[in-house]
Amino acid sequence: MSDEGGVPYDWSDSGSDHPPATDAASERHGTSGHPASGRGDFGDHAFWERLPFRGVPWRRVLTVGLVCFGLWFLLDAPSLQHSAQVSPLGTRRTVSLDVVGPMAALSRTLGLSSVVGSTDRALGRTPGGGPALAAPIRKPKPKPKPKPLPTTVIGTPTSTTLPPLDYHPTPARPLKVLIVGDSVGLDLGQPLVNTLASYGDVTTFLDGRIDTGLSRPDYFNWPAELQIDLANQQPNLVVVMIGANDPQGLVTPDGSLHFGRPEWDAAYSARVAAFIAEANVAGAHVLWVGMPPMQDPGLDAALRHLNGLVQAQVALAKDGGASYLSSTASLGDKKGAYTAFLPDASGAEVNVRTPDGIHLTPGGGARLAAAVANAMQAQLHVQLVPGAGGTGTGRRT
Amino acid sequence: MLFPTIDFAIFFAVVFTVQWLLVPHAGAWKAFMVVASYVFYAWWDWRFIFLLAASTGIAYVGGRLVHPATGTRRKVTLWVTLALLLGLLGWFKYFGFLAVNIDNVTHALGLGRPLPLVTVTLPIGISFFTFMAISYVMDIYRGVLRPARGIDVTVYLAFFPHLIAGPIVRGTELLPQIRSMRDPDDVHYVEAFWLISAGLAKKVVLSSYLSAHVVDPVFANPHQHSALEVLFAIWGYAVQIYADFSGYTDIAIGLALLMGFRFPVNFKRPYTAIDLQDFWRRWHITLSFWLRDYLYVPLGGNRGTEWRISVNILVTMLLGGLWHGASWTFVLWGAYHGVGQIIGRQRRAVRVARGLPAEPVGRGRVAWARFATFQVVCLGWLFFRSDTLGTAFAMLSRLVVGWGSSPLVTPLALLAIAAGIASQYLPDDWLTRGLKVFADRRPVIQGGILGLVLLAITTLGPQGVAPFIYYRF
Repeated sequence: MSDEGGVPYDWSDSGSDHPPATDAASERHGTSGHPASGRGDFGDHAFWERLPFRGVPWRRVLTVGLVCFGLWFLLDAPSLQHSAQVSPLGTRRTVSLDVVGPMAALSRTLGLSSVVGSTDRALGRTPGGGPALAAPIRKPKPKPKPKPLPTTVIGTPTSTTLPPLDYHPTPARPLKVLIVGDSVGLDLGQPLVNTLASYGDVTTFLDGRIDTGLSRPDYFNWPAELQIDLANQQPNLVVVMIGANDPQGLVTPDGSLHFGRPEWDAAYSARVAAFIAEANVAGAHVLWVGMPPMQDPGLDAALRHLNGLVQAQVALAKDGGASYLSSTASLGDKKGAYTAFLPDASGAEVNVRTPDGIHLTPGGGARLAAAVANAMQAQLHVQLVPGAGGTGTGRRT
Repeated sequence: MLFPTIDFAIFFAVVFTVQWLLVPHAGAWKAFMVVASYVFYAWWDWRFIFLLAASTGIAYVGGRLVHPATGTRRKVTLWVTLALLLGLLGWFKYFGFLAVNIDNVTHALGLGRPLPLVTVTLPIGISFFTFMAISYVMDIYRGVLRPARGIDVTVYLAFFPHLIAGPIVRGTELLPQIRSMRDPDDVHYVEAFWLISAGLAKKVVLSSYLSAHVVDPVFANPHQHSALEVLFAIWGYAVQIYADFSGYTDIAIGLALLMGFRFPVNFKRPYTAIDLQDFWRRWHITLSFWLRDYLYVPLGGNRGTEWRISVNILVTMLLGGLWHGASWTFVLWGAYHGVGQIIGRQRRAVRVARGLPAEPVGRGRVAWARFATFQVVCLGWLFFRSDTLGTAFAMLSRLVVGWGSSPLVTPLALLAIAAGIASQYLPDDWLTRGLKVFADRRPVIQGGILGLVLLAITTLGPQGVAPFIYYRF
């Protein structure tokens, strides 16, 4: 079948779209009333055609655009440099740092970075570092003088010992639960807040941060964030579900550690142990929820490895008040592998995973939340009595 | 590739320059634009460029076959082409939803589970380019468009400014522009830069703020929030989805304008609507008029009995709701708007029969009609935003019994909502005067102004902008 018109690829309009009967046909089919006129969102043709502005050569437009981006790049370079620094290790990060570095230095030398820095400070952010990294959204309550954290070494039990969480919530002494997590943790946290709200005398606070983990405190400092949450909420129990973003290189003062190496395992395990110890020192037990099976075999293997590291640290800290809950029993198939659908109590199939093969649907989150509530009763001996009265707050960024 | 990213800024700077340099060479320009658009699409997931290519191939071949055919053969060719295009959309967008619902019904009836349960990744923009492909073939069938060359159809469907989330540009609008040589000395940059700046501000600052600080926390846990917070979350979502989606199409229209293309307008101050019918003439206009021309009119449109017209409206709005996503909440949202339009139509007929004007007259009545319509639209958004029907009803329940403090109701949240609504009432003259000040400046000064505007947007916006809401549609 040949293209009509005969002249290949010129700008001739010989192949007109509209046969002679266009108007009649479009009227017959109701296609004549396309709304290209009238008062619009400053975007309709009639409005623009009334404006007294004439078109200009494209090279002039390019000049305007380049000046715009050049000025913005110079003024915002320190923030861009920070964004590059906290991005995952790899070629893109290296190239970005090479490109942005000199511009950021120039911006600082000329004092231009103070423009953005002042605005960041006014907004309560880390100057030059983009949005708040571990900075509280609201002013934290006065907190007691922080106790020194125990020195944690991989393979050594933490020095803090808490009694088992054998808790009987009452109106005067409600159970305070802090839930912290990454985006998968948020998928659990939101239904968990609702689940725990169905029990009386339980208060919950959800602090979920997408794209975060323990691997890159330079991007988001979870230990610092936990410190603030512990001081503000003074919880009895911290439910943790963090790890989906963690199979990546660590940046340490001594250099980069690549995922899969023994030294990476040691460093990550130490971070997990320190995280648990931080909660324990503040008097809170930890219930660490492992990552569920993933659809991608590579990510699945990485997170199973990660779960193993976490589980080992929880075992070492057990006397200090940490428990581990595998999410595989709730979200895996009979063999413990990834599945997107699972039957509910009535036998109806429920979609438990989102199409990305990573996150949980609301149904999946509710299923895992029920398992967490069961674990709180079975493992931690918390007496949860059904009844309204639970409250919860939180933030999600 | 997302518009508000460094990646896209670099990509666009290169494409903008090269495409204007290639303007004298039509073939090279079209080939370059196809490659650029496919790179743009592949940035998200390269495997789905084959889907885009398949849709293009089906539309092109279908159009070529429909055009010369007559009688039954013409109809059959059209239906086969539409079935193939809708089949791709159906598999990627609706199969999982249908399978689990059908399986659960058959399981309850003791008939087993006949369909395999799978979750299918939804290719971004599939609903948009599928609808554009359908309009292309149907316009040929109706005789309002002739089949275009393969390369032209490929550019038409893949042209990157509209590829991800519209606007839905018809072949009759874009193909003539693709075939015509654009004037490289007539770039309407004042309008384009305004649309891009305003779109970025709406998306990056307003939509992101409301999403993070008001809407998401409340919709995630409605039981934990007061009635006032629930009310703010619903109003906040109305502003968020407007800022998000109209912001996206503003950017798309502005980018196309910088390359010499005119896209149709997609929003006309929707929250100034005086009833639901008026709302749909102002909201996502390219979709609502697509539904009118390619669904409502073929169903019979305004012809037939009042009962038949009501059925046509309801079916159109139900399918329009389902177009937004495979979920019962979207179906309910579509039904809600369908019933609302039917009631509005009857109400108008009664007013006319009584000798009253069909639409409210007088400032007070118009103001009330606008206020009431906004609240009715907001109630619809409640179902649209809720992940389950349970969440929607929990929100409604909290509106009545949600006593308690309202920490999310802050002056800044109120300001953001008020700004989003008030922006739709600004006089055109204000904008014209402001743009004239900009247009009269030298290029370097103009670049400086835009640089500071961009800095303000990136500084006030959060780190990492959430994907556009309409990507998943």
